[in-house]
Amino acid sequence: MTPAAAFPAKTPEQGAARSPVPRRRQRRIPWGVYLALVPALGLLGFFGYYPDINGLVHSLTNWEPGFSSPFVGLANYRAMWHDSLWWESFAHIGIIFAVAVTAMWVIPLAAAELLITLSRPRWRLFFRYLLIVPLAFSPVIQVLTWQFIYDPNVGVLNGFLGQVGLTALEKNWLGDPGTALWALIFINFPWIAGLPFLIFSAGLQNIPGEIFDAAAIDGAGRWKRFLAIDLPLLLRQIKLLFFLAVVFVLQYGFAPYIATQGGPDNATTVPVLRIVGVAFDAGEWGYAAALSTTLLVIMMLMSGLTLLAGRRRAPRGAR
Amino acid sequence: MAAAPAPPTRVRARPLTPRRLTDLAAAAILSCLAFVGLFPYLYMLETAVKSNSQFSRNEATPTWPFRFGNFATAWHGVAPYLLSSIIVAACVMSGCILLGSVSGFVLARYRFPGRNFFFGLIALLLMVPNMASLIPLFVLIRGLGLLNSYPDLIIPQLTTQTVFSVVLMKTYIGHLPGELFDAAQIDGASPARTYWSITLPLARPIIGTVALFSVISVWSDYFWPELTIVTNSLRTVPVGAQFFQGELTTSYGPLFAGYLIASLPLLILFVALAKNFLAGIEGGLALDR
Repeated sequence: MTPAAAFPAKTPEQGAARSPVPRRRQRRIPWGVYLALVPALGLLGFFGYYPDINGLVHSLTNWEPGFSSPFVGLANYRAMWHDSLWWESFAHIGIIFAVAVTAMWVIPLAAAELLITLSRPRWRLFFRYLLIVPLAFSPVIQVLTWQFIYDPNVGVLNGFLGQVGLTALEKNWLGDPGTALWALIFINFPWIAGLPFLIFSAGLQNIPGEIFDAAAIDGAGRWKRFLAIDLPLLLRQIKLLFFLAVVFVLQYGFAPYIATQGGPDNATTVPVLRIVGVAFDAGEWGYAAALSTTLLVIMMLMSGLTLLAGRRRAPRGAR
Repeated sequence: MAAAPAPPTRVRARPLTPRRLTDLAAAAILSCLAFVGLFPYLYMLETAVKSNSQFSRNEATPTWPFRFGNFATAWHGVAPYLLSSIIVAACVMSGCILLGSVSGFVLARYRFPGRNFFFGLIALLLMVPNMASLIPLFVLIRGLGLLNSYPDLIIPQLTTQTVFSVVLMKTYIGHLPGELFDAAQIDGASPARTYWSITLPLARPIIGTVALFSVISVWSDYFWPELTIVTNSLRTVPVGAQFFQGELTTSYGPLFAGYLIASLPLLILFVALAKNFLAGIEGGLALDR
């Protein structure tokens, strides 16, 4: 049975009323809707909300899943305070975040601008697809491929440097603490195949052509148009992109897990790696829950602030 | 089309108007960017048809003859991961489309007490990163005795994708013209009928988006299968690819052939549904208002 089948049938007189039907609908409560929502809410309640709340509660205990978990108050959080590796991992994602909201936006934005500069829709479509093809590869395969590019012995990067006579620059890119983090960041360079590019190009495409024509008649050059029209209109997307960058960076972890295991010398440790290590290698579930909860709180705070900041700007915005 | 050219000279098909010049410049830069972005994958393709000795002799450029046998070798290693991923993706996809479309329809088209509350409750989960729930979810799934099984692979994915699906569907269905639903009601269509015959067909683009996103997510999720799956045949593509790499550390040809085979379903789906993908992004923008 489809859950929707449980809706109460509309009475005929209600259907016959030609006048504003929706207003009528408001008054009687269609009880069937609750039944229709049960499966989704049940799933999300049991596998979404319950574990999160459970984790939050057990972050105050010395969690021994399956056994009694003695309450330890804020001891796990105090331990976190002195966990230098944990805070070091935030320094690393800080660097990643800084790149994620600058270079990883600027290059896709430039590409999106170039795309709408093309006068033929056909070419726009062609390049748009060409630029996002890497999205169709599993991120793990992307990382494995780049790991191969960085390989000190057979890697393409060192091979290329050797070929053009820059042997002095050859490095063990992922094995050197000085370059490992940057090597990870440069995976998927030029970072076009991703949401920022798609969002920028969708945003630019949604700007009505008349606005551009008007700008052209007013004698605005391409650069001036970019500053005066494109950029202000795209500012609306910045909120969303900022939120996505926060989500991406705080959850960042599989690339270092695969390519460097957080090394060398902890140069690429990120919070997710620390959490996984604490839980699965050290078996300190309560402490891991405290770290997860902290990550969750940071995430909520950052996205909450992003939303609030966007709201304050809205009335003045060039909507 | 370039602005109406003056007397057509037979020599050059189109004169170099300023517009054409910008076009060429933009296309040139975009080609460079696309090449850099695609380079790893072109390299993957090129290496996938090389034998080991061909690779050690000439790493950089394609060499004749192409060794398509690498694909056969790779197939045996990669096939189980493909099968497992397809099963998981099919379950996640159908589940989140069903749950998302029903809940989205109800939340968008009916007014009832608690409507905003329930929607808020679901949308709030968008803010919970998967990684933050990893530990407690692991404890829960282990407690249920589901580790290392198909439900273990499906349930967490289904949960995340349902959140996403409900939010996208609700937004999309909410933006469909209300007259259609009023007309259906006037004609005496039951809610079930309205859902099946009006909402679902009209929501097809967004269903495509949700389907694509759920497959992408199965092909992307790494930590969960890495930490909960030990049976080789249950491994999905992301962890399978890494395991495969561990087995074939020095046979680069079959290794890259395996990566390509493992990427193929997503690649095909992506090409087929690229429009939906882009529409989904634009739908997401509408959500952002």
